[in-house]
Amino acid sequence: MATAAQTKFIRPDGKDKVTGLGRYTADLTMTGMLHACFRYADHAHARIRSIDTAKARALPGVFYVMTDKDVPDVRYGPFVEDRTLFARDVVRYEGEVVAAVAATTPEIAREAAALIDVDYEPLPVVSDVEAALADGAPLVHEGWSGYSASGDVVREGNDASRSTIVKGDVDAALASADAVVKERYVADMSHAVPIEPHAAIAQWQGDRVTVWSSTQVPYIARSGVATTLEIPEGHVRIIVPHLGGGFGGKCEFHYEAHVAALARATDRPVRLVFSRSEEFFAPDHRREGQVIELETGVMNDGTLVARRGRLILDNGAYSADAPFFPQLAAMHAVGPYRIPNVSVDASLAYTNTTPSGSVRAPTAPQACWAVEQHMDSVAASIGMDPVELRRRNILKEGDTTATNQVLEPIGAAETLERAVELIGYGKALPEDEAIGVGCGWWPSFGGPSGAFVKLNGDGSGTIITGAQECGTGAVMALPILVAEELGMRPEDFSILAQDTDAGGWDAGASGSQTTFNNGRAVIEAAREVRAQLLELAEEELEASREDIELVEGAARVKGSPTKSVPITTLADKAQGDRLLLGKGSGSPPPSPDVDASGCTGRLGMETFAAPTFITHAVRVRVDRETGVCRVLEVAASHDCGVILNPVGAEGQVEGGVVMGIGMATLEGSIVGEDGRQRNPHLLDYKLQTSADAPPISIAFVDAPSPYGGPKGSKGTGEPPCVPTPGAIGNAIAQVTGARVHQLPMTPERVWAAAHGVDA
Amino acid sequence: MSHACTLQVNGISYPLELDAGRTLLTVLRGELGLTGAKEGCDDSECGACMVLVDGRPVNSCSYLALQADGREITTVEGLAKGGELHPLQAAFLDEGGVQCGFCTPGMLISAEALLRRNPNPSEDEVRLALGGNLCRCTGYQKIARAVLAAAPGANA
Repeated sequence: MATAAQTKFIRPDGKDKVTGLGRYTADLTMTGMLHACFRYADHAHARIRSIDTAKARALPGVFYVMTDKDVPDVRYGPFVEDRTLFARDVVRYEGEVVAAVAATTPEIAREAAALIDVDYEPLPVVSDVEAALADGAPLVHEGWSGYSASGDVVREGNDASRSTIVKGDVDAALASADAVVKERYVADMSHAVPIEPHAAIAQWQGDRVTVWSSTQVPYIARSGVATTLEIPEGHVRIIVPHLGGGFGGKCEFHYEAHVAALARATDRPVRLVFSRSEEFFAPDHRREGQVIELETGVMNDGTLVARRGRLILDNGAYSADAPFFPQLAAMHAVGPYRIPNVSVDASLAYTNTTPSGSVRAPTAPQACWAVEQHMDSVAASIGMDPVELRRRNILKEGDTTATNQVLEPIGAAETLERAVELIGYGKALPEDEAIGVGCGWWPSFGGPSGAFVKLNGDGSGTIITGAQECGTGAVMALPILVAEELGMRPEDFSILAQDTDAGGWDAGASGSQTTFNNGRAVIEAAREVRAQLLELAEEELEASREDIELVEGAARVKGSPTKSVPITTLADKAQGDRLLLGKGSGSPPPSPDVDASGCTGRLGMETFAAPTFITHAVRVRVDRETGVCRVLEVAASHDCGVILNPVGAEGQVEGGVVMGIGMATLEGSIVGEDGRQRNPHLLDYKLQTSADAPPISIAFVDAPSPYGGPKGSKGTGEPPCVPTPGAIGNAIAQVTGARVHQLPMTPERVWAAAHGVDA
Repeated sequence: MSHACTLQVNGISYPLELDAGRTLLTVLRGELGLTGAKEGCDDSECGACMVLVDGRPVNSCSYLALQADGREITTVEGLAKGGELHPLQAAFLDEGGVQCGFCTPGMLISAEALLRRNPNPSEDEVRLALGGNLCRCTGYQKIARAVLAAAPGANA
C-alpha cells in the first residue's frame, strides 16, 4: 500500500471543475428568484438625517426596499459588537450598507438602489491611522465604550485593540548594544482578491432558511444569520457550492443575513452577486495597512540583544476578526529570532475605511516585510552578511520566544540553509540583479473539528465533514488519510461537505487549520470504523483482532495472506444489522506553555503552537531608470512538518509566493482623503499574471512536528505568502543602494528611493 | 429592442431574440444555461469568462452576443468529447493545475487557442498566452506545466 505521501493526488472535485459543469454560487438559479442590490454609503463618515425609499419602491419590478428599521435591533462582531446589518444613524465607510433592494432583475435592483434618497450631514473623515490615535481625533465610534466586547480586548477611543509584548529590559540592552538601528515602514491596504466575487442565495421553507453562500466559514455564517435575524441557529442551513477561492476575503459572516431577510420579506428566493468593484470596498476582510517602527540593538558578533517595536494597524470602520491582530503582528515584529529583550506595543486604529479582517496569514506579510528589511539594515550596521546575521539568531530547538515559549524540535535553520543553497546565494550576478532573503514564521491553529466516516453496503465509503474546501485541496485530500486507516483506496470514498446540516462544527477554510484539525477528525472517525470492521472480521476469519490487518481492500490474518475477507463482503454483511459508522473530533494537540505575564491584550497569539518556519530567497532585477523590478526566480524552503500531499503542499507554496510578489510590487489600495478607495478594480489594482510569475523551486524540511496535526503535519496554506515581500525588498535595496519604506514597492517608490526623493 | 440571431455554441444552434446590449457572457450563462464561463471582473481583466469565437479567445463579458451571430463559439463545456476529457483538461488534473477552479474554464480556453495555433510552445510562449487569465491560487507554475504536457508537439 502506498503511503499517503506517495499517492498521486487527483482532486475528486477536479473533473467537475475542468469540464465547466461544477456549479459555484452565482451559477445557481431558483424558480421565482429575485435579485438583490445594495445602496452603499455616499460618504465615508456622515450622519444620516433621513432615508426616503418611495421612488425606489415605486419602480416597476421592485419587490422590497430594506433598511435598518426592517431588521432586529442587533449589534454583532466576533470580538467587539460594533456593527449592524444596515447603517444606523451614522455611516462610517464607503461600503456600509444603507439599504438593500430585491427586484426582478439585477438591472432594476441597481436602478432602484440609486433612486433611494439619503440625506446626510457629513462628519470629519478619519483615514490615517496615526491621526486616528492622535489626541483630539474625531471618534469613529462615539459610543465605543458602550459596545459589548470580549473581556480580553483592551480598548480606548479609536484604539479598538491594543497589545504589548514585554520581555527583559529593552532600554538597558539598547544602551549596551554595539549598534542600534531604528527604522519606520508603512504598508498600504491590500486585498484577498479571490477570482470569484461574493455571492449568496437565500430561500425559506416555513420558518427555516437555506443560504447557498460563497463563504469560507459556513458555521460562522450560520451563527451570524441566527444572531442578526434573531432566529434559532438550527433554523439556518448554509450550503457552499464550489468555492472560487477566498484567501480570507470570504471569512466571517458577510451578507447571508441580508439576502435571508429580503427572501423572507418577499416570499421569494433572493440572489446577491457582487461586482468586482464591490469586492474591493464592501466586505470586511481587506488586508490592513500598518505603520511599523522598529529599533534593534545588536553586538558586533551579530548577537541580537534588543527589539523595540511600535505598530499601528488599520482596523477600518468596524471590527471584524482584527482585534487579535495587534498581538499577532507584535509576534511577527519579533520574528523567528532569539531576542532576549523585547518591548512591542501594537494598536488597532479605527478609521473611516473598509474594515480589515483575516487575509491569508493576517498581519504577517506586512510586518515581516518590515522586519526582514530591518534585519538587513541591522546586518549592514555591523558589516555582516545578512544571511549570516540570520544564521546566528534564528530560533532553534530549546530556544525561548518573546513570550517564553520553549521550542520543540523545529526546522527554522534548515529552511534558511536550504533556501540560500537552492538559489545559489553568493554567486556572481549582473549589476542590476541581486538576491534577497527573508525568514518568517506562522502558528498552527488547533481547535475542534467534526467528521463522520461511514462504509456503505457495496464497500464504498463516505466522508461527511464540517470542513470547507476553498480550493487548496485540503478537504479533497481527506480520503488519503481515511483510506490509509482502512486499507482501502482514496477513490473508494465520496465526500459530503459544505452543508451545515450534515457535518460537525468546523472553523472553516481559515487559519491553515483544515488538515491540522479535520485531518485528525477523519482519522479518528476512520479508526472507529476500523474497530467495527475488525470485530466483523474476527467472526469471519476466526482470529482475534490483534492478528488481523486491513490491507488492499481486505481484512487479512497477519502472515497468512490466504486467510482474508474483502471489506466489501464485511460491508455487505454489516448492512443487514449494524452500521459501519465512525465519528471524530477529538482534542487538538496540547498548546505549549508560555509566560506572557509582561503582555497586555492577550487574545491567544502569545502562543505559537506547532509553528511553521519559512525562508524565501528571491533573485530580482531592478531597472534603475524606471524603478521597475522583476522577480526572476524564487527558492522557498518550508518547515511545515510532514508533507501529507506533495501536490497540494507545492500548490500552496507556489500560489503563496506569487501572491507575495504581488503584494511586494503592485498590490495596494490608494485611499483618498475622503476615505474612498481610488482603484477598486483590476484595471488599477494589478495581480501577477502567468507572464509575470517566476519559476519557483521548493525544499520542504519534511520532518514531523511533535505537537503537530496528523502524522506531525503543520499548517501549510498561509505561510507561503509571509516572507516574500521582505525578501524582495532586500534584493531591491541591494541593487539600488536605497531601501523602500512603503509597501507595495511600486516602480515610482523604488525610483524615488533610489533617487533620494519622496514618492 | 430585440433582434433575432442564431448562436452556434459547442456545435448546437440556438435561435434567440436578444436585446442589443446583452453580452455574450450573460446569454451563455442565462438563456443557454452554460455557466462554465464565469464573471470575475466584468472589464476584461481576469479572463474567467473567456470563450473561443471562430477559434479566437475573447472575453465574453465584453463581447456583445449579437456580434457572435453566425460565428462558431466554443465554451469550456465543449472541450470534452464523448465523455472523454480533452488532453488539456486531463493534464490540468494530472499536474495539479486546478485549485479553486474558478479561473480554470478561461485558462483552458486560452490554452486551447494557443495549442491550435502553436502545437509546440515554449514555456515563455505558454506564460504569455495565458497572460490574460488571472489565477489567485496556483502561482501558474502547475498550469504552465499542464499546458506544456498537453501540447501535441510535446507528445509527438
